[in-house]
Amino acid sequence: MSADTTHILAPQGPYPPGPEMLNAPVDPQWSRESGARLRAVWAQPRGLRYWSAVNNSEVGQWYAMLCFGFMLAAGVLALLMRVQLAVPGNDFLSADRFNQFFTMHGSAMMFLFAVPMFEAIAILLLPAFLGARDMPFPRLSAYGFWCFAIGGTFVFGSVFFGAAPDSGWFMYPPLATQSEGIGADIWLLGLSFIEVSSIAAAVELIVGVLKCRPPGMRINLMPLYAWYVLVVGAMILFAFPPLIAGDFLFELERSFDWPFFDPERGGDPMLWQHLFWIFGHPEVYIIFLPSIAIAAMIVPTAAGRPIVGYSWIVLSAVAVGFLSFGLWVHHMFTTGLPAISLGFFSAASEAVVIPTGVQLFAFLATLMAGRVRMSVPMLYIAGALAIFTCGGLTGIMVALVPFDRQVHDTYFIVAHLHYTLFGGMVFPVMAGVIYFYPFIRKKMMSPRLGKWAFWLVFTGFNLCFLPMHLTGLQGMPRRVYTYPDLDALNWGWLNMLSTAGAFVMAAGFAVFLWDVIRPKGRDAAAPRNPWGGGTLEWTHDVPEDPGWGVRSIPYITSRYPLWQQEGLLERMDAGGCYLGDAPEGLRETLITTVLDARPILVQRVTGPTWITLAAAGFTGGLFILPVFKLYWPALACGAGAMAAILWWLWRDTARPPEAARKPVGLGLSLPLYATGPASVGWWGMFITMLGDMTAFASLVFGFFFYWTAGDDFPLPGAGHGQPVLCGLAAACYGGGWAAMRLARGWNRGGRVGRARLARAAAPVLALAGALAMAGAVWLPGLDPASHVYPAMLWAFAVWTVVHSVPGLVMPLYCLAGSLRGKLTPAHDADLWNCTLYWHFLLITALVSAAVLGPIPRLM
Amino acid sequence: MTGPADRLRPDEEEKTIAEESSSLWLLVVSPTVWAVHFAASYAITSLACVKFPDLLGVGGLQWIIGALTGLALAAILATALRSWRQWDFLEDYDHIHHRPRSEDRHEFLGHAAFLLSVVSFIGTVYVALPVWLTGTC
Repeated sequence: MSADTTHILAPQGPYPPGPEMLNAPVDPQWSRESGARLRAVWAQPRGLRYWSAVNNSEVGQWYAMLCFGFMLAAGVLALLMRVQLAVPGNDFLSADRFNQFFTMHGSAMMFLFAVPMFEAIAILLLPAFLGARDMPFPRLSAYGFWCFAIGGTFVFGSVFFGAAPDSGWFMYPPLATQSEGIGADIWLLGLSFIEVSSIAAAVELIVGVLKCRPPGMRINLMPLYAWYVLVVGAMILFAFPPLIAGDFLFELERSFDWPFFDPERGGDPMLWQHLFWIFGHPEVYIIFLPSIAIAAMIVPTAAGRPIVGYSWIVLSAVAVGFLSFGLWVHHMFTTGLPAISLGFFSAASEAVVIPTGVQLFAFLATLMAGRVRMSVPMLYIAGALAIFTCGGLTGIMVALVPFDRQVHDTYFIVAHLHYTLFGGMVFPVMAGVIYFYPFIRKKMMSPRLGKWAFWLVFTGFNLCFLPMHLTGLQGMPRRVYTYPDLDALNWGWLNMLSTAGAFVMAAGFAVFLWDVIRPKGRDAAAPRNPWGGGTLEWTHDVPEDPGWGVRSIPYITSRYPLWQQEGLLERMDAGGCYLGDAPEGLRETLITTVLDARPILVQRVTGPTWITLAAAGFTGGLFILPVFKLYWPALACGAGAMAAILWWLWRDTARPPEAARKPVGLGLSLPLYATGPASVGWWGMFITMLGDMTAFASLVFGFFFYWTAGDDFPLPGAGHGQPVLCGLAAACYGGGWAAMRLARGWNRGGRVGRARLARAAAPVLALAGALAMAGAVWLPGLDPASHVYPAMLWAFAVWTVVHSVPGLVMPLYCLAGSLRGKLTPAHDADLWNCTLYWHFLLITALVSAAVLGPIPRLM
Repeated sequence: MTGPADRLRPDEEEKTIAEESSSLWLLVVSPTVWAVHFAASYAITSLACVKFPDLLGVGGLQWIIGALTGLALAAILATALRSWRQWDFLEDYDHIHHRPRSEDRHEFLGHAAFLLSVVSFIGTVYVALPVWLTGTC
């Protein structure tokens, strides 16, 4: 099957381009005409249709503004809480409302501001750093944004109806499992929905960094921001799925009374704490790293020299990415785990300080080695470093178990986490907004207002949170809605100070907000490269953005092309680099190899559409309607979402191109179609399924967790999965996988009829496998509400059956493609991607069958 | 900005492609060893302290995790050695790797993998310490 391994045609023509090619003059008339064609292709829809845009610059801006809005709203909740706590015995807020407010403040700041803000900024900026026209999957970004907008509005909106979750942002059972009302369901389902957009963004960003760099931008030349995005994308894939698995179990308990976290029926609330913090601690670094990445772009510009210690910063980003997964139990030091276990996490918490410190020292070294021009963004970065260092120092303190036992659940922790988040995220992001504002809006923000905002926020922040270290050490617990007026406590004046500080800080944010949104029609247009930066985003077009990213995609030979590659900007502007024309009237970007960024493919990317909005709306129904126990309408919405996504894929992706190759400029011709690992779609599927596998692994972890922690798991006498049906299920899924795998080879070898037959068999086998899997837990009469053991078996069966649905639809999609000429022996990307899905489905099914049948019998 | 060695050695420009595809993975070998060692230590401790408290005892646990730590550190050292060779620092004293050549990319990945091995080594030693310092579960 040698043909099987050819995924893409070879490029034709010279590469890399020689100096004589890069210096050859560009015909001015061609430059004008091709520029006009390109402008027409990338023109944004106007009027109402503006909202059908999928371009990264539009979607990124909507995303960022919405996150900013949620941040302000969650900030208002914090102000209201500060008013309540200003004096002892206050009755400004009721206890119930206070509970809702602190829960929503934390949840919104994390899920609706910090994480999506990273995604927003990355979607907005990453293509510019890479000189790409757009992200590889623009519609996926748009879909993710609309999911976020719907889910975020739903979750936050609940606060206005007094129906918001009130059990704290980490939703600990049994408080949260037994909480009345729909608040906890809103949290679980609404935020699971939003996690979809995070994973979508992770897929988009990882593929973007690895495959969409400009020709020549080898991995040792890529902007540090891209390194950070790569690491954070990978972290999202391993951090968010455990929470999704936890949400899955939690919602099964709330909706159907399956007792995963109920100790009376063998469950264990600690499993939720584990799953939540396996997500929750890496999440802190998911927030921190991309923000510090902004600093890594601003610092060299301010210092006027390349970063010192590029390799060291890469080291610290990757090392933090790993070590941050070994910290989660430091949120659980007081839960009674074995002392040695606590020691592991304490040790890892201290170890993560090393790479974190390395990058800060690299920034300082860059500033010392360069000639610093103090700018407003640099002021914010300086403030960030100071505040983050304070937060880091208290972090070293609370990483020690004995100290943590003293301050656990006190205001000391509130102070610590706000110092790390403001220093590690809020200030760098504010710096980024000011620094990149001229890139995004083509105007400058006011330096005067910027300095006012900085000093107000900086002063207010310290006034608000510094005293909390003291209130905490004096024993004031977190999350109390009021406290008594006792001389012995002496908390009153410290709390009043914090409240005053909070309002000073709020005034600073108001100034900042005004500066962002104030009309700037009369302001002079910003210069093209106002800060004198050296990276590719400053090749953007002024005074208006044609939406194309870059006029033509450059050939890169340095880390700071605008400083180190003479004549580059002029050549890019003339259209004399790659893809300077769009004669077919299609949106395109370049795909390059992972290590050395050799150009290999012209990727056609999708344009404006309403279908992403429809898909997001239906997906929203799937997640939101179960809150109100409307399960059948929710399933209908699920079907609608699937139909919308199929429609979008069918019409506009992986269509056989009109020619095998096309000239892309500088004498090079590149293929227009790729399949398997050479295509971006395959990587998208692979990365998505890696995240899915992590969620599944979390379920397996849960299974063994119950076994380790409890004495009645597996429950003696409860029965296990029906062995014959478990075996049958495994055989059916194995058969389905084999059919898909054979279909791929047969199709490629030209035996189309046989391939179609195999593709018709796969869905039948998927259905049979799902039925056998369901029968394996149903026939023995395992009652999932009686004990956690049968509930866990049911959870595995449900998980596998749900995953069989795409496994059933995908072969049919490929079959239809084959019948309608979308999928041919030479154009089989869909088939590769669907077969890849089936690999993962097979793993899921085999592990589930083993967990249902043989494994418990051995335990 | 000029690196310590801007002269190009022709033989270095021709490192093999096969070597390269593995070098991106080289980056994550040592941290992965740390992660596996960490997860294994945690799992074994849970089993020894919670599930089967009478089976091993802390003494047995110390020996098992000690042996695991030895293995992990050996693997990290081997990775460090391989990446040190790839970095080849003493050849040209280059630690910046900013030129558009295969050699720079090659050495950069070796350099970063070496630094990651150092951090992973320290992290692994840190994780092993509690087992020796804490006498009881």
